[in-house]
Amino acid sequence: MNNLFGYVPGNSVIHRLNPVTKIFLTIAVCVAAFISDNLAYLAGLLAVDLLIGFAAGVPGKTLTIFRGLLKIALFLFALQILMIRRGTPVFWIITDEGLLTAVRVVLRLVIVCMPLALVLAVTRISDLTNSFVQVLHVPYQYAFTLSTAIRFIPQFLEEMNGIMEAQTARGVAFDKARGLKKFSMILPLCAPLLISSVRRTDQTAAAAELRGFRLRTRQSAYKRYPFTALDLAAAVFSAALIAGALLI
Amino acid sequence: MIRLENVSFSYRGQGPSVQNVSFHAEKGEFIAILGANGAGKTTTVRLIDGLIKPDSGKVLIHGADTAESSVSERARRVGFLFQNPDRQICRNTVREEILFGLRSVRGDEKEEALQARTDEILKDFSFTGDEEPFSLSRGQRQRVALASILAVEPEILILDEPTTGLDYLECCHIMDRIRRMNEEQQVTVVMVCHDMEVVLDYAKRALVMAGGRLLADGGVREIFRDAALMEAASILPPQMIGLSLRLGKGFEQCDSTDTIVQTVLDARRGGAKHE
Repeated sequence: MNNLFGYVPGNSVIHRLNPVTKIFLTIAVCVAAFISDNLAYLAGLLAVDLLIGFAAGVPGKTLTIFRGLLKIALFLFALQILMIRRGTPVFWIITDEGLLTAVRVVLRLVIVCMPLALVLAVTRISDLTNSFVQVLHVPYQYAFTLSTAIRFIPQFLEEMNGIMEAQTARGVAFDKARGLKKFSMILPLCAPLLISSVRRTDQTAAAAELRGFRLRTRQSAYKRYPFTALDLAAAVFSAALIAGALLI
Repeated sequence: MIRLENVSFSYRGQGPSVQNVSFHAEKGEFIAILGANGAGKTTTVRLIDGLIKPDSGKVLIHGADTAESSVSERARRVGFLFQNPDRQICRNTVREEILFGLRSVRGDEKEEALQARTDEILKDFSFTGDEEPFSLSRGQRQRVALASILAVEPEILILDEPTTGLDYLECCHIMDRIRRMNEEQQVTVVMVCHDMEVVLDYAKRALVMAGGRLLADGGVREIFRDAALMEAASILPPQMIGLSLRLGKGFEQCDSTDTIVQTVLDARRGGAKHE
């Protein structure tokens, strides 16, 4: 889990794209998923997600993310078919409209979440921050906040695992509880997690200040992020995804 | 009480962290596991508590295989003090914190008994019970974590670098309390520690690890006097043992300032008589 959001070094086509292009491609996939109601097109977008993951040379991570999302998707699917009462009943309280909406919601969830996680697998956080500052002219403070938030995700997971391990060693039955019971046992542990997170944030802020955080401008980074023909092709592909969603 | 039989373990995607380690510990022993970073010390104590299961070999606690029972069930008999107390503390007051641990493993007992035990341990550790754990100093938080573990009265106590980040006085408070429990209640203590002075002062037996292997197992003083072993394990022996080794013949049994000074004085007196 800790490595799920981590960067995987590589030299694939996806790795070589400008970080900004990767973000635009991700946004294009998300926008297309929300524009289109066509199930076949949504299934195609899901295939695009998987292909991007495979092209990036991270098939294992792609499938892990996919499997993880499927578990949430199944829960969401069940919730949708039980809540939506419009349409013709098919079985018990389940209607045809409920089924269609549930499939759409589930497909959209997976389509939207997968590229967001994959971007982090194929882009260094520092490249993401620097390209935002240089290319999109985002103030460094905001870009830093975004990148720090992303960087903290695996650290929070590690901290949470450490807390759960320590509590298990004290006799809290995390190793035996499942589902909702386990969830209810985790809730009280949010206090130590929150306190350690605030402490860590304070320390990071102090370290950043000591290293001249406020002196940094667009010109501070020596690495440049030019757009290449590959980025142009990705931009065209992104536009085609949105156009396809509008037309089909 | 604790028995490891040819235990090996590797973290996923990494080389072996512990290789073919075997040893056993009896009731009332005070054992220190020594070694450089990455030697496999923490992995070994996590294996003992069953937080991780061995890839091969067996870890037996009171004759029961840790792979066949859960860590939470074992918590009644095995206490684990982690390096970072903030991972253990999860309640708003010290009293609640101690009660939380007690209720987790002694939930079948009457509430009055648990409250009485909490009062006892609060008094023992000089806490009022109303203190907010997260507002206390690092050393005090470590004492809260230790108090909540000792409240349960475990038979085995595992300590993973318990004195890291503590000043000398805080370190003494923690270690003296552990020694008292070891001596008075015959609690078996297994401690990972980087401070060799603490090891010399408190532990009686030492296991030396390097590269995931157990290099030596013996009395603390004998282990520290083995210069070749210390070099192989990248350990610097305690200052006074290092000095006694350099002083050579006549100082072999010295392990403190007092004993070295006494030996020098004895030698001078002997020399004066001779003259």
